[in-house]
This record gives sequence, C-alpha cells and structure tokens, in this order.
Amino acid sequence: MQANAEVNIGAKGPEVRAKRRSSLYFIWQGIRSDRYALAGFTILTLITLAAVFAPWLAPYSPTEAFPNLRLQGIGTEGHLLGLDHQGRDMLSRLIWGGRTTLFAGITPVVLSALIAIPLGLVAAWYARTGGLIMRTMDVLFAFPMVLLAIMLAAFMGPGMTNMIIALTVVLVPYNTRVVYVAAQQEKSSSYIEASIAAATPVRKILFVEMLPNVVSASIVYSTTVIGNIVITAAGLSFLGLGVQPPTAEWGIITSDGRQYIFNAAHISILPGLAIMLVVIGFNLLGDTLRDSLDPRTRLSLIRR
Amino acid sequence: MARFILMRLLQMIPVLLGVSFVVFISVYLVPGDVARTLLGYQASETAVQALREEMGLNRPMLVQYWIWLSDLLRLDLGFSGALRMPVAEVLGGKIVNSLVLMGFSLFLVVAIGFVLSTYAATRFRKLGDRLTVFATLVMASVPTFWLGILLLYVFSIQLQLFPISGMYDMYDPGGFWQLLHHATLPAVATAASAIAIVTRVSRSAMIDVNSRTYMRAIRSRGITPARVNYVHMVRNALPAFVNISGLQVGYLFGSAIFSEIIFNWPGIGLQLYNAILQRDAPMIQGCSLVIALTFVISNFLADLIVRMLDAGKR
Repeated sequence: MQANAEVNIGAKGPEVRAKRRSSLYFIWQGIRSDRYALAGFTILTLITLAAVFAPWLAPYSPTEAFPNLRLQGIGTEGHLLGLDHQGRDMLSRLIWGGRTTLFAGITPVVLSALIAIPLGLVAAWYARTGGLIMRTMDVLFAFPMVLLAIMLAAFMGPGMTNMIIALTVVLVPYNTRVVYVAAQQEKSSSYIEASIAAATPVRKILFVEMLPNVVSASIVYSTTVIGNIVITAAGLSFLGLGVQPPTAEWGIITSDGRQYIFNAAHISILPGLAIMLVVIGFNLLGDTLRDSLDPRTRLSLIRR
Repeated sequence: MARFILMRLLQMIPVLLGVSFVVFISVYLVPGDVARTLLGYQASETAVQALREEMGLNRPMLVQYWIWLSDLLRLDLGFSGALRMPVAEVLGGKIVNSLVLMGFSLFLVVAIGFVLSTYAATRFRKLGDRLTVFATLVMASVPTFWLGILLLYVFSIQLQLFPISGMYDMYDPGGFWQLLHHATLPAVATAASAIAIVTRVSRSAMIDVNSRTYMRAIRSRGITPARVNYVHMVRNALPAFVNISGLQVGYLFGSAIFSEIIFNWPGIGLQLYNAILQRDAPMIQGCSLVIALTFVISNFLADLIVRMLDAGKR
C-alpha cells in the first residue's frame, strides 16, 4: 500500500508526521484531550475491571445467603452495601451483576452491527433489493424500540439468549439505515466509479473498497446507542423477560427490591445507580468517539 | 398541505399492514402449537381444535394472516383466556388512561425542554449552561424503571407528597386535580430521558441559530437582547425543537410501559406486563398492536406540525 509509506524521500520535513495512524490512535488522542471523555473512560474501565475480576473482587458468592441478616441496610458489619431480601451480600451481587448487565447490553450492539453492515451495503448497491430491505426496516421503525423488544422477548420466552436475540433484531433496522445512508454517499464518489471502470467484482467493491468507509458510521451510531441498550436490557430483566433469578443482574436486583421499598430501599436503589453510572460513562465517551472516528475532525487531533 | 396529508396517509397503509403482520407473526415465535398458545394451557382440546379450524392453521400463512386481519378490522383482537373477556373490550378502557399519562409526559417534555434549552442557550458557556448540560447528561442516563422507584421512595414514602399508585383516590375518585396529583410522578419518570435529549438537541440548535449572520444583523440593529433571544433565536430554532420533541414520542411510549408498572397506572403498559406474567398471548398481541398504532399516528401528527412550522418547506 503506497499510502502506508512515509513520504520522506531526501529532505527531512514536516511530511514525516503524515504517516498513517490506526483508528485506535485517534480514539485514544480524542479521549486524552477531553476531560469528560477521560471521566467516561475511567468509569467504564473501573466497572469493566470489576466485572471481569468479579470472582476475586466480590467478598462473597452472589448467591450465598446470610438469612439472619436479611434486609440489613448499607454499612452492616462485613457487608458494606447491606444485604437483600434473601440475606445475600449486595456488594457481591452488584459486582457479579455488572458482568451480566454489561454482557447483555453490549452483545446485541455488536451483533446488530455485524448484521447491519452487509445488509446496508447490499441495500445501497442494488436499488430494487435495497428498496425491499429498507421498506421492511420501515415497518420495524413503526414500533417503539422498547415495545418491540418486549414483544419479541415475551413470545420467544425468557432467558439471556432470547433477550439478546430480541435486542439485536430491534437494533438492526436503525443500524442498517445508518450504514445504508453512508453507503449511498460513498456509492457516488469517484473511487467507486474508478473501481467499476476497472471491472472490480461487486463483492470486492462492497466489502473491500466501501467497507472501511461505512464501518465508522456504524461504530459511531453504536456508541451513541449502547447506553440505551444497557438500560433496555436491564429493563427486560426487570420485567422478568431477560436473565432469570437467582443470577445477579442489575435489572433483576432492582425488581427484587420493589417489594421491600418501605423497609430496605437500598436493594432497589443501588443497582439503578450502577446502571446510571455505566450509561453516563458510555454517553460521555460516545461524544468523543464520534469526533475521533470522523475523518473531518481527525486533523485537529493530530496537530496537538 | 392537503396533498401532503393525503400522501402521508397513503404511505401509512403499507407500514400499518407491515406492523399488523409483525404482530400477527410474533405469536409463531412461541415453541409449540399456536392455537394452544393463544388459548392458554387450561383450555380444552375441543376448543383448541375449533380455534385451529377457525384460524385455518393447516392453510397457507397468508390465508391465516388474512383471516386474522379481517377479524382485526372488525375490532376483534381475540379472546383473553386469563381475563375471560374479549381483548378489544379490555383495551378500550385502558387506551384513554395511557393517553392521559402520555399527554402529561409529552407536556413536561415540551415545556421543560423548551425552558431549559432556551435558558442554557442564552447563557452559552456560563455556569447555568454547564449545569444544565450536566443535568441533562445524568437525566439521559437514568433507567425509567429505577427513576420511578426512586421518585416513589422519596416523594411518596419519605415525604408523602404524592400518592403511591393508581389514577384516583380509592375512596373519593374523580376530579382533574386529583388526576394531576396522581399523574405527576409517573409522568416525570416517563419524561426524564426525553426532556434531557430534547434539551440537548434544542440547545445546540439555538446556539447554531445564534452564530448565523442574520442573527448578527438583527443584533446590530439595536434590538433588545431579550427580544433577540426570545423572539428571533427561539422562532428560528423552533422546527428543530418540534422535530426532536416528535422523535421522543416513541421513546415516551417505551418509558410509559415501565412507569405504568411501577405506579400501578391502569393503562396499556400495565396490561401488557400482566399479560406477559399470565402468558396471555392474544392480550400481548393486542397491547403491542395498540401501542404501535398510536405511535404511527403520533409520528404522523408530529410530521404535520413540523411541516406547518418550517417556513423553508412551506
């Protein structure tokens, strides 16, 4: 690849710096230069680490019960954040719950992007098939996002897998439209015209030439929607349609605490705070990622 | 304008057909026999056979859909096994309750969103603006079901300012103020995220308007800052404001389901939740259909309003 080589023949000049950088570089520069993004990044890193190392961090097992300490509040000796209605340690359940909630929230976003990118590219390239695909998506847009997820999950039956499928289906139309619009714009650009003139196979035009230029649109969309999906996933579990008890999950813990709101409000309130913190993290980070992945604003990050 | 309305109504027909088809087909996701799913597990074998015959389950899918759709057009949404009542009859009474809650929530979104965004935009980069932006960040990140519980705990249980559940007092029901008193907390919980998003987008739109040359021209003519802000800036950002408020309606429909559950508000959302707990398939279909239809219609209305306000498109 010619573009990869540094333009540095003979004289040393400022051109040396114009070498190709990976997207990760820009993302990191974007995060570093913006304190809000840095705050979001820190929040998410800490919570992700806590979720990953849950077996070592959590003081107790998430299902281990201390029946004589049921419903004890925050600050109980040996149980920093209190205990729930079955006498299980809240801190341990929250740490373990982060695993489930984060997994259930992030997986559908990734899966839907994997489906939407080829779908959007094909829809943009073949006008007739594309029309059909996009009209189908229009129908799915006619449902409020949460309602469609609830309906699908209700009929497929409860469980983590079905919930992830439901959330993926709900996200695909939105993501496809984003890719479709981006691909439509690329389609009329000169490098694609050149590829057509060079008799490049369509498959190669779509998945080699166009792909890198539409992927960032999909990633940007994903980062803005991920907080929302974390909330929706927790919401489905709250309704009893997602992860099933006794698994620790933030939505379920909130739901468990509803009956004990009069004498043990901490059961419901703590997991909601955790969800809010994660979503704030994603929202803070999302704005910066949008700038870092946009080629037009990238330049400002190099010059720093 | 009449032409635009007619075109939009015609465009709605295939979407509505598609929506009804998705709702129709969703019941086939349940593993096992569809007739058995619809009637529930306590139904007799003869009843299941009769329904199988009526739905034409051994005939092609499109024929089944046609039978279902023609029932739907006669407002026959099936029979709820759990409630022993026709689904349409149950939902008829609930729709109004849900619309009341939605109305209050939408009012909060529009009113608070408008005030906050104008406030923030006129104090761009000052303390008030930064605080508003921070508040919207937090509000946009709050799950409705949790906010509902939190409001319930603080304002109903601790401060005892608002009732815990329902639409009216159990013993002396009636009156607008009583309804408003009951609706406040669920409406706030429903509206919070939408208020945040409307505020953020509308604030950016107003700041964008402020940076335009025509605004500088207006300012240079010596018009008072108040008039510049509250007449010119607001007027030019209005289409963006209405557009984003309209887009939030779908979000409100989703949040309202959770609010209704937390505050025991007798609407479609609570009915949907009960239907899920009772595995009442026709009721789940009915609730989903009604919510989706209301959503399509409200989108259409939002489009109309944007169109009327947007001078460029007129």
